[in-house]
Amino acid sequence: MNPSVGRRSLGLHGANRAIWPAVWFALLMLCVWGFPHADGVLRSLEPDANQVVYQRASLASLLLQHLFVVSVAAVVTIVGGVLAAIAVTREGGRDFLPMVAQVASLGQTFPPVAVLALAVPALGFGTLPIIVALVLYGMLPIVRNTLGGLQDVDKDIKSAAIAMGMTPWQVLRQVELPLAAPVILAGIRTSVTINISTAAIGATVGARNLGDPIIAGIVNGNMAYIVQGALTIALLALTVDSLFERFQERLRSRLYTS
Amino acid sequence: MIELAHVTKRFGDVAAVDDISLRIAKGKFCALVGTSGCGKSTTLRMINRLIAHSDGDIILDGQPIDAYDPVKLRRRIGYVIQHTGLFPHWTVARNIGLVPRLLKWSAADVQAKVEELMKLLGLPVDEFAAKYPHQLSGGQAQRVGVARALAADPDILLMDEPFGALDPITREKLQDELSRLQARMHKTVVFVTHDMDEALRLADHLVVMREGRIVQQGSPLALLQQPNDPFVESLLGGLERGLKQAALTRIKDHMSPMGPTLPAQSRIPAAFSLRQGLSMMLRDHTDRLTVVDQHDVPVGELTLRKIVKEAQPEQGKVRES
Amino acid sequence: MSLLDALPTPQVSWRQWRPNRVLLVLFSAMLAAIWLLDVVSVSPNRIVSGEEAGLIEAIGWVGALLVSGVMLTLLALSLQPSHQGYQVALVGVSLLLLLLPFGLMVASHRLISSDTPQARLNMGMAYWLMLSLLLLCWIELRLRLTLSRRRSTLMLLGVLLVWGVCAILGLDSLALGQELRARDDEFWRALRQHVTLVSASVAISIGLGLTLAMLMRRYAKCQKIAFGVLNFLQTIPSIALFGLMLGPLAWLAAQWPLLSQLGVSGIGWAPALLALVAYSLLPMVRNTYIALEQVSPETLEAARGMGMRNSQRFFQVRLPLALPVLLEGIRITTVQAIGLTAVAALIGAGGLGAFIFQGLGQAAMDMVLLGALPILMLALIADAGLGALADILRPNATAQSGDSQ
Repeated sequence: MNPSVGRRSLGLHGANRAIWPAVWFALLMLCVWGFPHADGVLRSLEPDANQVVYQRASLASLLLQHLFVVSVAAVVTIVGGVLAAIAVTREGGRDFLPMVAQVASLGQTFPPVAVLALAVPALGFGTLPIIVALVLYGMLPIVRNTLGGLQDVDKDIKSAAIAMGMTPWQVLRQVELPLAAPVILAGIRTSVTINISTAAIGATVGARNLGDPIIAGIVNGNMAYIVQGALTIALLALTVDSLFERFQERLRSRLYTS
Repeated sequence: MIELAHVTKRFGDVAAVDDISLRIAKGKFCALVGTSGCGKSTTLRMINRLIAHSDGDIILDGQPIDAYDPVKLRRRIGYVIQHTGLFPHWTVARNIGLVPRLLKWSAADVQAKVEELMKLLGLPVDEFAAKYPHQLSGGQAQRVGVARALAADPDILLMDEPFGALDPITREKLQDELSRLQARMHKTVVFVTHDMDEALRLADHLVVMREGRIVQQGSPLALLQQPNDPFVESLLGGLERGLKQAALTRIKDHMSPMGPTLPAQSRIPAAFSLRQGLSMMLRDHTDRLTVVDQHDVPVGELTLRKIVKEAQPEQGKVRES
Repeated sequence: MSLLDALPTPQVSWRQWRPNRVLLVLFSAMLAAIWLLDVVSVSPNRIVSGEEAGLIEAIGWVGALLVSGVMLTLLALSLQPSHQGYQVALVGVSLLLLLLPFGLMVASHRLISSDTPQARLNMGMAYWLMLSLLLLCWIELRLRLTLSRRRSTLMLLGVLLVWGVCAILGLDSLALGQELRARDDEFWRALRQHVTLVSASVAISIGLGLTLAMLMRRYAKCQKIAFGVLNFLQTIPSIALFGLMLGPLAWLAAQWPLLSQLGVSGIGWAPALLALVAYSLLPMVRNTYIALEQVSPETLEAARGMGMRNSQRFFQVRLPLALPVLLEGIRITTVQAIGLTAVAALIGAGGLGAFIFQGLGQAAMDMVLLGALPILMLALIADAGLGALADILRPNATAQSGDSQ
């Protein structure tokens, strides 16, 4: 059972999906630029606190930090995960296929927090262990979906491609990867969504990102901080997720235009 | 020319194909017939090296196939399979142009070839070129499959139950078209099917296989007249064998000159098969038909007595073919 | 065009010799790890980082040779594998797994003198690597020998049991054990809290999920909106959702004293439970919905044809056939909830996550492990247990039981 497949087919928002990324992004920008000037609104949440606007760092810089960590991790995971899955489905690496498939599905039962927590003793505090943890954990859905996508390509189609005289590289490039692309993209979407969330928890191990205001809010009992962090990060996640949704839509319509 | 000499394919301890020898002359249409699992598809797939053979020699144009580079070899052998194997993410035109593009033809040449083939196979270019495989009917998809296999003008065409998934009417239509194409192009065709009627209809040379071995091979007529094995006989339809044989014979080979009597009421074109003639006799309650040419001019007559007499096997003559 | 264009490039096939490259790589990596990396480290107390020790320092020449000997044997076995070879290798791998705690016992005996009872023994990089590599070997061998899930789970439980016994009998100085002893009560309370929160949220979402799925089947229009909302909730990062739950619940508790008497407040179990249920609903509803929808119409038609009533059809045909997929939903939900409950510790819900965050705050890595490892184990146990249950409940259970998935 692939969680991302169901999510796709039973998708959100009806016909006019196209505008959602823009809507979420606009709201995100509103949060990032609006909160520093929204003293009054935030004050109503937390009338007694001496400070309601989070000022240790600007939301914009935290957002950039967050995006940086997630993007670095995403690039490494996507390249590594897809390459690994391709390697074990080729003639030369096929020996490793059963084990990699097992590990990829078993590894997803590991809670991301536990993976993050285990990365710290090994690598220390800061941004690096977070990136490593995100890479390790985010690799799994991508490997699993890439494997699934490549293996689901119809045997007849692959056999026809070989029989027409395509080289292994041509079969991979022109047939297998394009046909597996929607499933691979679904895996990347799952991976990135999890990573945005896990990176925020990374604020507890000394990384600077959008998790910071939330943690600070919880520690100081300041609801206004929490709202600033939580809304911004939620909108970031929604923006990215809806972008993926849009992208998947495009890919599918390009694969099977009617 | 394709020659298989003592070819064996073992999967583990099981011999899927067991010591078969076969020779297919250039331009001939050879059908491999048998029940499923008899090794006929495996045999076919060994010819373009989709499966490596375990023993024996497969020789194409005087060279053992191991001597060829597999990728280049396959680009020179057309291949058609039951479920078409068309690439779902490519248009019809792009699918057909696959092998020419692999061979680095110029874009204009590819385009010209694609259009030529689409016309040849009755697929109007304007209507179909930009369509995707999932928008085609089964028959149309298989036409595209055949066009794709023919695109680089290969000498050899391998077909693995190409019409197996089609409804009977479409199947018959495509069989006719394949005969028409073959009469024009003279490819060396190896055709796998479990449908004996299809094989009888299309093939010059019939190879009956069972459990990885060749039970009998020869021309369709030879097999019909002398099946050397109950299995072959049952495949050939047992009691209906006579009718199948009649279907392979033209009326003009059995007609006699017009007799002195009045011409019979029922008229049949000379190009029809004997089977159709017999059917007309049954329908019209007569034992005599007037044979006409394409302009409906009587050219002879067909009598039941003569057909029955000539259907006796003429042993010496049949063996050779 | 002539076939001769395709000449030549003679190809020779010489691949008669087929070693198991997976095991080869794993065993080589293991050998390299134990000789090149630190095996254990000894620290005088809880906070100070330890002094590292290599293989020979830790378990002596004899031990080092013994372990290397076993590994070399396994390496040799994987050069020319056979069914018997794999069975022997499985025994060898189990042996190494069983030797792990003994190695620690030897190391603590050699490295820690009895006059420093505060000193702690930490497992080093090589130890962790060896443990994970051995588990990978285990998975590979299990797949090669096509062992059933039940049998291999039993074998692993046996190994765990031996570890437990060793830990109780002879591993006083192991850091993790010391940490556990130091907060014995706290640990068990946290474990209980964790399990309670997970069970409660899963139980609630099963009930809610079933109801929602049924409603969706009845009112097709709701389906799109409901999935949209659930999808939306699932996309919001956990930490944000937990944070956002604080405010409204604090407000509610302030408005209705009855609620706060029940223990509902902005911080603690109530917002955590709410957020957990919100997250659990999507996988639950999705799988329930798919499970109920996927029962083939022919089967239901046949049931109607036999004269079964609506309720009979539902309870005797649709539900039993849907059960495995439904259980799959429960499995996904449970595993996810176990991980999310750890995050809930941030808003004061307790549970094992508290150790993680406290440990991170105090830079006490043993404490982090004390939280993280049990969470990992819980997730794996829930996954294996519910997976096995789904296997058993599958209609063609006999055909599936041998399946290694």
